[in-house]
Amino acid sequence: MTGQSGQSGRMLLGLTKILGKCSLPCRWMRKYIVIYRSVVMENMQYMANIAMGFVSYFVLNFVFMNLWNYMYGTSGELIAGYGKEQMIWYVMITEMIWFGARPAVVARQAAIDIRGGNIAYMVNKPYYYPFYILAKYTGEWSVQLPMYAALAAVMGTTMVGKLPGFHVTAVPVIILCVVLGITINAVFKLCIGLFSFWIEDTHPFQWLYDKLILVVGVIFPIEIFPEKLQPFFKLTPIYTVCYGPAKLVVDFSPGKCLEILCAQFLYLALGSVLIYVVYRKGVRKLYVNGG
Amino acid sequence: MLTAVENQLWVCLLSVKYNIMREMTNKVTFLTNIVFMMLNNAAFIVQWLILFRLREEIGGYTMKEVMLLWGLTASSYGLSHILFARVFTLHELVVNGKLDAYLVLPKNVLLSVMTSATETSSIGDFLYGMVIMCVFSFGVGRFFLFLLFTLTGALIITALALLTGSLSFWLVKSEMLGTHMTNSMISFGTYPDGIFHGTAKFLLYFIIPVGMAIYQPVHIMVSFDGGMLLRVLGYTALLTAVAVAVFYRGLRRYSSGNLMESRI
Amino acid sequence: MEAIRAENLSKTFRVKRKEKGIKGSVKSVLHPQAQEIKAVDGVSFTVEEGEILAFIGPNGAGKSTTIKMLTGILYPDGGSLEVLGLNPTKRRKQLAYEIGTVFGQKEQLWTHLTPYDNFRFFGAIYDIPEKETERRIKELGELFTLGAFIDTPVRGLSLGQRIRCEFVASLIHRPKVLFLDEPTIGLDPVVKGTIRSLIRQMNKELHTTVFLTSHDVGDIEKLCERIVIINSGRVVLDDSMTHLKDIHTSGMSLENIIMDIYQAEGRSEAV
Repeated sequence: MTGQSGQSGRMLLGLTKILGKCSLPCRWMRKYIVIYRSVVMENMQYMANIAMGFVSYFVLNFVFMNLWNYMYGTSGELIAGYGKEQMIWYVMITEMIWFGARPAVVARQAAIDIRGGNIAYMVNKPYYYPFYILAKYTGEWSVQLPMYAALAAVMGTTMVGKLPGFHVTAVPVIILCVVLGITINAVFKLCIGLFSFWIEDTHPFQWLYDKLILVVGVIFPIEIFPEKLQPFFKLTPIYTVCYGPAKLVVDFSPGKCLEILCAQFLYLALGSVLIYVVYRKGVRKLYVNGG
Repeated sequence: MLTAVENQLWVCLLSVKYNIMREMTNKVTFLTNIVFMMLNNAAFIVQWLILFRLREEIGGYTMKEVMLLWGLTASSYGLSHILFARVFTLHELVVNGKLDAYLVLPKNVLLSVMTSATETSSIGDFLYGMVIMCVFSFGVGRFFLFLLFTLTGALIITALALLTGSLSFWLVKSEMLGTHMTNSMISFGTYPDGIFHGTAKFLLYFIIPVGMAIYQPVHIMVSFDGGMLLRVLGYTALLTAVAVAVFYRGLRRYSSGNLMESRI
Repeated sequence: MEAIRAENLSKTFRVKRKEKGIKGSVKSVLHPQAQEIKAVDGVSFTVEEGEILAFIGPNGAGKSTTIKMLTGILYPDGGSLEVLGLNPTKRRKQLAYEIGTVFGQKEQLWTHLTPYDNFRFFGAIYDIPEKETERRIKELGELFTLGAFIDTPVRGLSLGQRIRCEFVASLIHRPKVLFLDEPTIGLDPVVKGTIRSLIRQMNKELHTTVFLTSHDVGDIEKLCERIVIINSGRVVLDDSMTHLKDIHTSGMSLENIIMDIYQAEGRSEAV
């Protein structure tokens, strides 16, 4: 498995090289690609450490498998419209995103930089700080996530069984959807992190946000909640971060796919505007108060 | 002999007190950490409300019993991290040679090390366990049993961390093993044992000791069984003794700050 | 009487060897290669009660390893060792009541507590009755002039103030032997001077044996009567300060004498 992810890592590096050499449209992105590249290289050295996390992932999914095996009494039964295999695969995919793309860097780094006063040196560097953080974060999950994806695929096919109605042709669009979901999540977490300009400790808010995503989006598909609550959940980032990608894996349909992608682009735009505004206000406060 | 034990306990208590005082330097952060950890745990009540909408009992548990299970796991985890937080980062101390300061003191090394730090948010875990126990299944006798099992559970969690942490005397790279073992214990400890079968059950009693730390105590609290209680106590004592022995065996190999990896 | 006796003391560390890069990492997992490094290799010396001994050597010579074996932190691999008639390996706890340690780079104080509370904590650790602790805090507080800041949390103190507190914390149980590892590191000349005169005073008044390692020639020159130099894990010189100065050309500074000895060793090693 490590060999496989090593291969994908090399391909990733190659891709970034090409992007890095790309002319005009990518020129402003070059510095972020360089940051991304160095984080990828750094993280590839820790692949053994990352693989240790497989234990926690395995145990958690093992628990869920047992839970759903118990909950589904007779075979062929549907809960909230999901068959047993679909339900377990759903959790495995959302947990894969949860484990493989831990946005701890985004959350913690911003808080540390701002509270520790480092930010004063960083705002004057020739890069846009939020992009710098996002590039670092993307570098991190680019190594981890494929490793977890491989584990999820192996566990799923050997321990759960095939998904009915899953087509390989849907994979590219699912990957796009996962990447968008992770990025949206990072944008919102970074946004909360940027609140450190005003408040001492943003951890509690990070927690609350995480819990919302975890309890509502990771453990269950949205359909399992009372019908009155569902429209409300569709308006939160949960719908685009975890539910969307996982739903497409277990129950793909072109219509659903379009709907989720649209929601994701909308959320990404919204999150970006939010970051822009919060960051600008924060920096202005920094200039006024001197940190 | 007795005064020596008394003195040792007194020093441990002082350490814990000073640890908590250190965490309280910033009162707002201290309190928000505790409160939000409690809210964090409470969020999982939603999960169980949903699951019990689907079925009336899960793995032989009703909502009340699942909450008891959750409460015991939270308070055991909490207590272990309030009193002995340093055990959970033992690896770092061993590999970077940070045990020196404790080795020159005339007190028990292990206890001095273990009680040298605390984790604020775990106070929230501990309190949450107590609250959830009182809300969902209060009873005077049961409350005292709950306290006892919180203690044995905390000891088992600590012993497991000590055991895996002590491995770093031999294996420099056992870094994350302890963390994942503790995580796994919490993952299992927040679901009813009735959903597991066969090899999984074996695993839960012999590899990850969640059976004796959480499941058996919950069974005892639901319907009392003296024999089982003795078994839990015996198991706790045995695991603790083994972990302590392994630690001291490893300590002979302790190489202070001199352990390094040279690259050629 | 002898306070410390070390005979043929040795300690070997196994160090893993690893080649560069990912290939090297894989190799080291499959065929781990270890190399044995003799940090201390047959060291013998004695320290008389009430003596101030300088135990010096270049970086990596085995000083810290030796001091850690003397204080019971490390287990020796070979040789025999007695501190105040006790074997540090077997009687670690008992010995701890009799010795004190000040490691210049490592702090033993709680930074969020005041020095006063810290001393009381150490009093409890060494099983000293509260009243007695109070008395000693007062006594040592006067000796080390802590009066002005004894009720300020340690994190608010300057390095010089902190090291004075470290000394008091290490002396609260009246140790018979005091181990000082680079006690004046990072201090300004004035504070260094104070610390040195305090060590001398303490040695005279309390008859404390002092085992000192330092790279600061000033410390050695101003404090020590005897000097032991080790290099590559072996004792290369064990002499009284006056004799050491006598046999070298007059006017040669101690610094140059020591440098000569270090380099001579290095050359013989190369040959």
